[in-house]
Amino acid sequence: MIQGLAIGVLAAGLLLGAWTGIHAYRRRPTTDAQMVGAIVLEAALLVQTAIAIGKLVGGAELDESVTFVAYSIGILLPLPLGFYLARIERTRWGSLSLCFTAVVVAVMTLRLMQLWQAGSG
Amino acid sequence: MADLSETGRDTADPTEDDSPPTGPRRLLISLYAIFALAATARGIVQIATKFDEAPVAYALSLFSGVVYICATIGLLTNRRWSRPLAWAAVGTEMVGVVTIGIASIIDADVFPHDTVWSRFGAGYGYVPVILPVLGLMWLWQTRGTTEQHPTAR
Repeated sequence: MIQGLAIGVLAAGLLLGAWTGIHAYRRRPTTDAQMVGAIVLEAALLVQTAIAIGKLVGGAELDESVTFVAYSIGILLPLPLGFYLARIERTRWGSLSLCFTAVVVAVMTLRLMQLWQAGSG
Repeated sequence: MADLSETGRDTADPTEDDSPPTGPRRLLISLYAIFALAATARGIVQIATKFDEAPVAYALSLFSGVVYICATIGLLTNRRWSRPLAWAAVGTEMVGVVTIGIASIIDADVFPHDTVWSRFGAGYGYVPVILPVLGLMWLWQTRGTTEQHPTAR
């Protein structure tokens, strides 16, 4: 894992969560900009997962490598779900769905960082 | 963008044959789907890698995952069995999170390893204890809608 990228993903997840959360609070559906943000974040997650698994294959040692890989792949799933729900549900509830999934991504990133540091530290 | 603001759920795809209200249900689906994934994956990893350490806790992880999957399916589908399934799954979850929450505090020996429901889901930001309450509230508030919308079975 790359620390900078992970922190960026973490911040982006929280930011997207806050942004869509405010929209949900204001009873608004998600905007196009938010949807683009979700796609960009998902792309960053894909890059991060590819790098992390590449490093693991390349010989990085982790205490809980199975859990780490499960998280690395699992982290790719929430955003597409939130994105899909935000698209079909053009109300505040769609915003709240994307908000929740974005925060989940941030939390999972934090967990990934912990697992990585515990193994390589 | 501005043209998308304040649009009601009547702008949703008319081919969707969901029973109203769809909004809160879809949020619940996202919540349950994530927890179904989290708990099931956790249970599988725990059982596959270190089942002997705490068989009860790890079996429970997988069980809670299955319960979340059932709840997700119950909320997602619109069949005759959907609502009973959702009621049963969310009810089981409510009982589970309270029972395991109390048990994990009183008798830490049985649950030395965390599950999704340990300490009322503290490891997951207490969402596991809030989730069944939201689920039961939604099921309660929308009860009878299937009778009013027979096509929604």
